[in-house]
Amino acid sequence: MPPSSPNFSSSVKLKYVKLGYQYLVNHILTLTLIPIMAGVLIEVLRMGPEEILNLWKSLNFDLVQILCCSFLIVFVTTVYFMSKPRTIFLVDYACFKPPMTCRVPFATFMEHSRLILKDKPKSVEFQMRILERSGLGEETCLPPAIHYIPPTPTMEAARGEAELVIFSAMNSLFEKTGLKPKDIDILIVNCSLFSPTPSLSAMVINKYKLRSNIKSFNLSGMGCSAGLISVDLARDLLQVHPNSNAVIVSTEIITPNYYQGNERAMLLPNCLFRMGGAAILLSNRTSERRRAKYRLVHVVRTHKGADDKAYRCVFEEEDKEGNVGISLQKDLMAIAGEALKSNITTIGPLVLPASEQLLFLLTLIGRKIFNPKWKPYIPDFKQAFEHFCIHAGGRAVIDELQKNLQLSAEHVEASRMTLHRFGNTSSSSLWYEMSYIESKGRMRRGDRVWQIAFGSGFKCNSAVWKCNRTIKTPSDGPWADCIDRYPVYIPEVVKL
Amino acid sequence: MVFTKELEDLVYGIKLSSVGPGRVTGSDVVHDLSGMDIAMKLHYVKVVYFFSSQAAQGLNLTRFKEATFDCFCDFYYTCGRLRRSESGRPYIKCNDCGARYIEACCDMTIDECLQMKDFYSDLQKLLVSQQVIGPELTFSPPVLIQVTRFKCGGLSVGLSWAHILGDAFTAANFMNRCGQAMARLGSNTPANLQYKSNTQHERSKNPLPLHDEPLSLKWVDPVGDHWIVSNNCRMDTFSFHITASQLATLHSEISGRNRSDQVPIFESICAIIWKCIAKVKLGEETAQARTVTICKKDPRKPSKGVVTNTQIISAVTLDLSVMETDPQRLVTLLVNEAVDERMKMEEVVERDDGVSDFIMYGANLTFVDLEEADLYGFELNGYKPDLVYCTVHGVGDEGAVFVLPAGPKGSGQANGDGGRMVTIIFPESLVPELKAELAKKGLGQGDHDLT
Repeated sequence: MPPSSPNFSSSVKLKYVKLGYQYLVNHILTLTLIPIMAGVLIEVLRMGPEEILNLWKSLNFDLVQILCCSFLIVFVTTVYFMSKPRTIFLVDYACFKPPMTCRVPFATFMEHSRLILKDKPKSVEFQMRILERSGLGEETCLPPAIHYIPPTPTMEAARGEAELVIFSAMNSLFEKTGLKPKDIDILIVNCSLFSPTPSLSAMVINKYKLRSNIKSFNLSGMGCSAGLISVDLARDLLQVHPNSNAVIVSTEIITPNYYQGNERAMLLPNCLFRMGGAAILLSNRTSERRRAKYRLVHVVRTHKGADDKAYRCVFEEEDKEGNVGISLQKDLMAIAGEALKSNITTIGPLVLPASEQLLFLLTLIGRKIFNPKWKPYIPDFKQAFEHFCIHAGGRAVIDELQKNLQLSAEHVEASRMTLHRFGNTSSSSLWYEMSYIESKGRMRRGDRVWQIAFGSGFKCNSAVWKCNRTIKTPSDGPWADCIDRYPVYIPEVVKL
Repeated sequence: MVFTKELEDLVYGIKLSSVGPGRVTGSDVVHDLSGMDIAMKLHYVKVVYFFSSQAAQGLNLTRFKEATFDCFCDFYYTCGRLRRSESGRPYIKCNDCGARYIEACCDMTIDECLQMKDFYSDLQKLLVSQQVIGPELTFSPPVLIQVTRFKCGGLSVGLSWAHILGDAFTAANFMNRCGQAMARLGSNTPANLQYKSNTQHERSKNPLPLHDEPLSLKWVDPVGDHWIVSNNCRMDTFSFHITASQLATLHSEISGRNRSDQVPIFESICAIIWKCIAKVKLGEETAQARTVTICKKDPRKPSKGVVTNTQIISAVTLDLSVMETDPQRLVTLLVNEAVDERMKMEEVVERDDGVSDFIMYGANLTFVDLEEADLYGFELNGYKPDLVYCTVHGVGDEGAVFVLPAGPKGSGQANGDGGRMVTIIFPESLVPELKAELAKKGLGQGDHDLT
C-alpha cells in the first residue's frame, strides 16, 4: 500500500535531514579546518612575499633552539610509534567441513530419538517441536558415535572426533597459508566441554611436532564465546612477543556431551549443537601485511557472572536419573539481551561515528534530566559496520539481536544460513559465518566486520575486524559446494 | 520368530545405526509407487552374501559404510519412509531418513555356520534382519543392511529389501552398485541412475469380469499398517545344491530321445520339483491347485538403472493332473504357455487405489528364476562372494522355490560354477516327505546337501 503523500514527503525530508546531520557531525573537523586554512591562505596572499620573509627573520631562531625543537619532535614521534599497540593480522582461517557420512537429516534424528526414548513419547514430541522451529537444515552433522542407537559416547570416540575435526581444520589451514608447523609460536585451543589429559593443545603439538618452546594454552569450560576469548588472549600475547605467529583452534566436541536422559530443558542442546571447528592464523609480522585478510581492531569482553541469574542460566548439572546435561533456563533470552546492552555500551564509543555518539549522549542526558519517559536511542550500528557475524546459537538469539540492533535480513543472513547449513557449532560458528560472507563475494577492502558471541557465564564478547584486501570468492572451504543454493527461505515451522 | 536361547547368542554385539544419502534430496520429494509395487508390499527380499576371510582381510568397514552413503545418493527413494495419501494409497516420502545399518559378530566360522543343521531355517535369519514394515509405517525402514563378522575373519552382508521398492534383481543391482562405489571411493564420478518416476496412475474404468482376474495375486485379510501376512501353517525353509553334472543327468532324463534339444535349466528344475510337490500335496481337483506362478527377469528393460518392480510374473495352469504329466511336457508348458499377468495385476491393485492387501509369492506355488540376477556381482576388495543366498520373506501357504546360481561364473565346478542352488519354502509338516521325493530324483543328496 503506497504511503500517503504527506507522510512520504515528510519521511523523505527526514531522511535528508538525518543525512545532512550525519555528514556535518562526522566531518566536523574537516569542516572547521577548511575555513581556517582558507582564511590563512587569503591572509598570506594578501601579505605578499617580502612581508613573509620579514616575519620569518624576526623570529630570531638560533641553533640551540632549532636542535631542541627537532629533538623534541623526534622524541615524541618515537614514543608514539613505540607505544602504539602492534597490529594484529588475521592471515587466514580454515573451517572444518564434516564428511557426508556424518549427516543427520531431521527424519533420521527423530527416528533415532523415538527408538532411544521409546518410553518417553512426550520427550520425543518435545524434541520434534524444537527441531521443527530450530532453523536447522537437513545437512547438519553429528559425530559418528552419536549415530548409534543408543549413542556410544566413549572417551576413545570423543578423542576420535577431536582428531577428525581439529586435524582436518589444521591441515586445511596449513595448505591455505603455507604455514610450517615449526613456525607456530603460540597455540591456543578452545573446546568447552571436552577436556582430556593431556590437553587438546598437547594433542595438536604431538601430531604436528611443534616446537618445544611453543606457548600453548587450552581453554575449556568457557562456552560458545570462547573463540573470541582466544582471540583476545592471542592479541595480548602477540603484543608481548614480537614477530610471532599464533594459531587458534576453536571447536566443540559433541560426543561426550550428548544428553542421554529425558529432562526437557536439557534435551534442547541435543537438537541444536552440531559438529564443527575452525583454525585461525593470527600474526603480528609486518611481512604478513600484504596477504592478511583482516586486521583486528577491537575486542570487547563483557561478563555478567556477578549476577546470580545470569550465572545459572546455562548450567551443566545432573538430572534426577544421574545423566549429565546442560540445562537452559527460560530467561536465557532476557539475560542475553542484558549482556548485549552492556557490551554495546562499551563498544559503542569505540566504533560509532561521532554523529551517532552525539545523538546517544543527548538522548541520555535528556532522559536523565528532562524526561525519563523518552525512548532510549539505539545507535545505528549499521553505520559502523558493513557485516555482522552473530553467533548462531539458535533462531531465537538471531531474531532477538536482529530486533535489538535493528538489522535488516541481509545483515543477519550469514548467521541464519550458517545455522541452517551447519547448526550451532558453538565457538566456531562465527568463522563459518565469515566464510559465508566471503563465499558470497561481499567482503571488500575496508569493510568492517562485527563478531558477537554469547556464552555460558553469562558472557557477551565482541571482536571488530577490518578487511585488509578484497577477498575473491574461495574455491574451497565449507561453503564451496552449496553456496549457490543459499540464501534459502527457512520457514517458521518445518513440516517433518 | 522365536529363536532358541543358544541360537540367539550365536550372533551378538549388535550395534544399530542409520545410513542415508550423502546428498540432500530436497524437501517435498515424493516417490510414487506403481500398482505392481503395491501388489508386492507384503513381501521382503532377503539376500545374504558370504565373503571369505581372504576377501574381508583389511576391509575397512567404515569405508563400506561410506560407500553405501555414496550409493544412496542415487537410490535416495529407498531411504524415504512410507506414508499414505488421503485415499489410503501408500507412497514414499523421500526424507533421507536412511536404511538401518546393523553390525554384529558371530563366534563361529562361516563353514561351521553353513554346516549347521538348521542353518537355512533358523540361523540365516540371524544374519539378515527380519524386521518388517509396521506397525508404524512412517518410522519403518524399508531397507536394512546387516554386516556380521565371523570367527574365521570372514564376513556376511545381509540385505533386507522391501519388495515394494523393487524385486530381487533391483536389490542385487543395488548391492553391486555399493561394491562398485567402494572400489571407486575417492573419485567423484557420480553414477547415473536412470530414475523412472511414476506419476499419476489412472484407474481402470471398466471393472474386469471375474474370470479374468490374475491367478498370481491373492487377496489377504487387511493387515493395516503391519505389512506381514501370517500363514495358516508354519513354513519351513531348506536348500540344496544341484551340481553341473546333476543338471546334465536331469537334462538327459527330460529330453529323453531328443538329446539335441536345448532344454532350459530353470524350467527343467521347476518341472521335477513340481512333480515332487504334487506327489506330496493332496488334492489336485481345483484348477488353482494345478496353477503355478513363475517369476523371471524381464529381458527387455536394461539391467542398469531401472529401479522398480519389473520382473515378469506369469501363471501356468495344467489341464491334467501334474503327476500324470511327463516332465518334458511340463517344461514345454512352462516355457510356452506361461501367461504374463502383470497388466491384470496392476488393474486389480488400482481398482481400489492400492488400499487392499495381496500376496504374490505363495498365492500359488511360485517358482522364481534368479539366474540372471547377477547376485555374484557384489565385490568387496576385488573378491566375489563365496556364496550368495537369496529368498523372500512373507511367502504364502502354497510355498515358493528359488533357483539361484550356485557360485560365481568362471569360478570352476568345485565352487559351484554351472550348478544351481535351490531354496524351497514349504509348509513344515510336508517338508520331510518332499525331501524324500526329491531324494528319489537324485536331488538334495550328497556333498552339497545343505539342509
